Amino acid sequence: MHPFTFNRASSTDQAVKWGAAPNVRFIAGGTTLTDLMKLGVEHPTQVVDINRLPLAEVERTPEGGLKVGALVRNSDLAWHLAVKQGYPVLSEALLAGASGQLRNMATTGGNLLQRTRCMYFRDNLSPCNKREPGTGCAAIGGANRTLAIFGTSEHCIATNPSDMNVALVALGAQVHIQGNHGSRVVPVGEFFLLPGSTPQVETVLQPGELITHVALPPPLEGAKSGYLKLRDRASYEFALASAAVVLQIDGGRVRQARVALGGVGTLPWRSPAAEQALVGAPASAATWRAAAEAAVRGAKAQSENGFKIELAKRCVAQQLATVAARV
Amino acid sequence: MAPSTSVTVIGQGLPRIDGPKKVSGLAQYTSDHHFPGLLYAVPVTSTVAKGRITALDPRAALAMPGVVEVFHQGNFAGKLFRKQASKGKVDENRPPLSDNTVSYYGQYVALVIARTFEQATEAARAVKVEYASEPPNVSMRLAAEEKTSVDTERGDVDQAFTSAPVKIDQVYTTPVQTHNPIELHASVAVWNGEQFTLFETSQAVMNHQMVMAQMLGVQPQQVRIITEYLGSGFGGKLWPWTHATLAAAAARELGAPIKLVVDRAMMFQTVGHRTNTQQRIRLGATADGKLNCVSHDYLFHNARLDTYKENCGEATGFLYSTPNLRAAWSFARRDIAPPTSMRGPGAVPGLYALESGMNELAVALKMDPLQLRLANQPERDESLDLPFSSRHLTECLHTGAERFGWARRDPRPGSMRNEAGAVVGWGMAACSWMAKALPAKATVQLAANGRARVMCGTQDIGTGTYTVVAQMVAALTGLPLARIDVVIGDSSLPPGPMSGGSMATGSLVPAVQAATQAAIDEALQAAIEHDPRFAGKAPGALAFDQMQVSIKGEQGKAVLLQDILQAAHMDHVSGEGEGAGSAEAQKHYSQHSYGAHFVEVVWQPEIARLRVDRVVTVIDAGKVINPQTGRNQIEGAIMMGVGMALFEETEYDPRTGAPLNANLADYIVTTHADAPEVDITFLDYPDMTLNPLGARGIGEIGLAGIAAAITDAVRHATGVQVRDLPVRIEDLLDAPVGLAS
Amino acid sequence: MAKQKLQFSPDNPPLLPLSRRSVLQALGISSTAAVLGSGLAQAAGSAAAAPGDAAEPGAQILNMTVNGEPHSLKIDPRTTLLDALRERLQLTGTKKGCDHGQCGACTVQVNGRRVNSCLSLALMHEGDAISTIEGLGTPEQLHPMQAAFVEHDAYQCGYCTSGQIMSAVALANEPYGTSDSDIKEAMSGNICRCGAYSHILKAIKQARG
Repeated sequence: MHPFTFNRASSTDQAVKWGAAPNVRFIAGGTTLTDLMKLGVEHPTQVVDINRLPLAEVERTPEGGLKVGALVRNSDLAWHLAVKQGYPVLSEALLAGASGQLRNMATTGGNLLQRTRCMYFRDNLSPCNKREPGTGCAAIGGANRTLAIFGTSEHCIATNPSDMNVALVALGAQVHIQGNHGSRVVPVGEFFLLPGSTPQVETVLQPGELITHVALPPPLEGAKSGYLKLRDRASYEFALASAAVVLQIDGGRVRQARVALGGVGTLPWRSPAAEQALVGAPASAATWRAAAEAAVRGAKAQSENGFKIELAKRCVAQQLATVAARV
Repeated sequence: MAPSTSVTVIGQGLPRIDGPKKVSGLAQYTSDHHFPGLLYAVPVTSTVAKGRITALDPRAALAMPGVVEVFHQGNFAGKLFRKQASKGKVDENRPPLSDNTVSYYGQYVALVIARTFEQATEAARAVKVEYASEPPNVSMRLAAEEKTSVDTERGDVDQAFTSAPVKIDQVYTTPVQTHNPIELHASVAVWNGEQFTLFETSQAVMNHQMVMAQMLGVQPQQVRIITEYLGSGFGGKLWPWTHATLAAAAARELGAPIKLVVDRAMMFQTVGHRTNTQQRIRLGATADGKLNCVSHDYLFHNARLDTYKENCGEATGFLYSTPNLRAAWSFARRDIAPPTSMRGPGAVPGLYALESGMNELAVALKMDPLQLRLANQPERDESLDLPFSSRHLTECLHTGAERFGWARRDPRPGSMRNEAGAVVGWGMAACSWMAKALPAKATVQLAANGRARVMCGTQDIGTGTYTVVAQMVAALTGLPLARIDVVIGDSSLPPGPMSGGSMATGSLVPAVQAATQAAIDEALQAAIEHDPRFAGKAPGALAFDQMQVSIKGEQGKAVLLQDILQAAHMDHVSGEGEGAGSAEAQKHYSQHSYGAHFVEVVWQPEIARLRVDRVVTVIDAGKVINPQTGRNQIEGAIMMGVGMALFEETEYDPRTGAPLNANLADYIVTTHADAPEVDITFLDYPDMTLNPLGARGIGEIGLAGIAAAITDAVRHATGVQVRDLPVRIEDLLDAPVGLAS
Repeated sequence: MAKQKLQFSPDNPPLLPLSRRSVLQALGISSTAAVLGSGLAQAAGSAAAAPGDAAEPGAQILNMTVNGEPHSLKIDPRTTLLDALRERLQLTGTKKGCDHGQCGACTVQVNGRRVNSCLSLALMHEGDAISTIEGLGTPEQLHPMQAAFVEHDAYQCGYCTSGQIMSAVALANEPYGTSDSDIKEAMSGNICRCGAYSHILKAIKQARG
């Protein structure tokens, strides 16, 4: 690691003040940042420890939703009663991620900012527009089996690796951000940016801005939800394809639906097309298949990851069926 | 007279004697050692796979805080030497930093020494190296580039194959696999001006000493290798690698203890791998399933500068009876680091191919694969024309089939369901691994404090050597294991065997037994000389049990050896023993272990998910000294086999030659959640041609054949025959047993 | 270029080449005992000397409790909790297997929760209570989980074992289910390359009662 100074912020105001200086990184769980600093991909000159900030609570909002502090650990959020009851898709997504130890460390805010697992990004050497803009993309035509089929550009095909983000997108969460000049709220669907020609810019977060909370809207009345993750081995691995599904079924018909895919997009990939195919349709295997077909429409395969299109389709169809069958 | 515990201690699943230290964090592994003034060494690795270093600038690194030295070719060449061909073994012969030629990605090009690990790591990044590089060839598609050699041949394979009524002709490939013991390779080197004390991650301390002495240019007695605990090796830690020589030479240059821990990425670059293989199997049979020919042609890759043989034909010559057989090989050189032995070298990829071929032949014959194997069992080794020392493969097959419930198998793909209604597939394969013993020496002391101490220059790599050696001593002395100290992992001890080839246990039996007996004889002699109660007796008239001497027939009046030694002012009596190894026996017998695997996979086509659910394995490995540690070995091999079949592949970037997935998130191995239910049986027939206990090794055989059994089960579940490992989701998406079924 | 000679300065005190006598002392080798495998290792482990502060510019103070004992260290901010435990405090029971959160060998408990110490900067643990395998039990007085690991041969090489045990003990505080598949999933962050998984499962089930 490059040398850096380490400071502990005792208030959010102090953190964002420090964060405004050049080349500063906030550290919470450390599971992404420490990893990337060891690889040389990240090399801040100052690290600001935000673990002492009062952002580790899960609170009910007056509207009946949840306000999750950015420092709530993934395991705590997954096991939280209000999350298990009101947002099973989030609980399941969190528990599908990483390992028990990592979930005890990783935070809600940090998970939103998890970086891609693209091997070329991480090797700190290959051409990579995300790591070093303008150098090219070694993954296009290279080892891209695990990389994205949605939202790619000719500059970057790196996958967003998070499970939590997929659930947050399906749930329509809001990201609360504080900067040196005030606070703002960004819908999670607008928080992540397509790589386009600037894959180094992954979110709307400006330098020095700090995620303070994630707000979940009240659970849809009578809705059921769930998360399915497909991967090579049974655990402790990133998704090849995953699906977060929220279904509100009434009288045998789908009233409302939210579908998001993970492991396949440059960002957590919500599928309005799949949702459209679901809403108003009978709760049936044919509907799940049609929605799954719709979900993968427009997918673009790279040299090694074409199988993900079929895999994602099966993932969506299966998870729709599973969630619909839940009582 | 039989010592009291001898009847029970051999063959008992006793807990490991080193267990309490292992579970309390007190077992000291190589990188746990620390000394005053210790400096940290971090290598700088090449970022090209083929070429030349044109410039190396260490100035920025040297200017960094805590940095003590940067070694590179310009200031280090000549500090290390090559070893003689016949004296010891390494897989990479060229000393590190001895020239400016780069022959693989990750080759050490410099070594940074600093006061802390953090300082050395960052300084290593700051060493500027320029290369004149050429495009590397790391292609995994192989063609014979060297002359073809024949392992074994009989009859006329080509003619027999042409005329065979039923035949298969298929190519099977296995990718590069990387050992990845969880313990990183490491060296902690201390030089005191006269002698090296080298704490190493070694599966063979004696070989390590011999090699290091030559490469450091000192006498063997100036080098002491210590590996008290090893975080496993799977073959990757058999022979010294370049980091070890670097650390030792740096310690001498700087006059300070040096710690060098190879990082996980380097574990894919500089400490060996299992070479890829490309194997063509041609099998011919009569319509009723008698094999009339077996042809096994195989290729693998090699590094540019060193030559290794992956002996895929090891078991081909004797596993089945057939009049016509040939196993032949060649290799192709690549710009890749030297490969090395990995658990069951040769036989593991070799039997994946041969047993897959047998399974495909069974399909072609419309015959049960179990019956095909049973129908082709040889009476003797038809390759060597020797009798088998002890072969019970038929019983392995029968026992395994019974425990598994194989008789209920419906051969139609996708036809079977488990209790939960999911599609299951069943597959099986046979396996074999060589049974050999190496020459070994050991010393046993029986001490006045009532304890025994056994000393041997071998090591415990996790297989249970500490415990089985104690059991060997217990068997003859009657002592409980708690009173036996096993001292191994030190090259200054009597030369013992390497922990490789499943040979350690079998090699140790005769040496430890002889040493124990010699010590007992000394004890009796001491009794006769120093205790009036035994004066004038012939040694043969005395008995020894539980550290007590008695006159035969008067065991009630036994005298503690402790008292005898104390009266004689002796601290201990000591005996030396030696085992000759199996070279002589192998002139007369074909010595091998055997086994059979039966596997159930579960296939969920709706989400393309395949998992290994259940494995039944039966092993014929001679007398098993400790069934608990023994079962653990077989089970661990099965876990690695699940990885071999479904997960493990080291991928190389064709542009740079770099191992791309050089970490444990991208090179995936079996986790707890992937672990199938396992049922293991040992047949336990002693092989008395190998050693007096009839014990053969068990470290490797479990990994042989298992991948073929899994791919057979995959075919049975999905209808897809995968021949290129590992089986991946994308291989199965279009499976005939798919969504419709 | 020519070999760089050691530069001696206040920031870089001379490294005295160890005399034969001092090395032998460090190694715990007496001239009469030619072979002392375990004694030697113990002596080596206790011969700890922390690097001087001067060698670590930018070092910052860290106060934390390890196995109930308070420690105050001046530490390079780059030091991970794992390296602080191993290289500074010589608590080497915690192992480095991958250094990237991909194997679990470095698992320790921070305030009772299991974490990967390799991905945690030591300075993040100001005021924290760290528990390592050394604090759990001794060979003479094993924690029930340690004893169960011995009884069920829940290891082979032993290198991942500290992490497996620290993880298994921490499971008691996590709301995982008690079925085999629940435990296997909960333990999947601890890779055992030797593959002693079913033995580990048995040990955990026994210790949890």
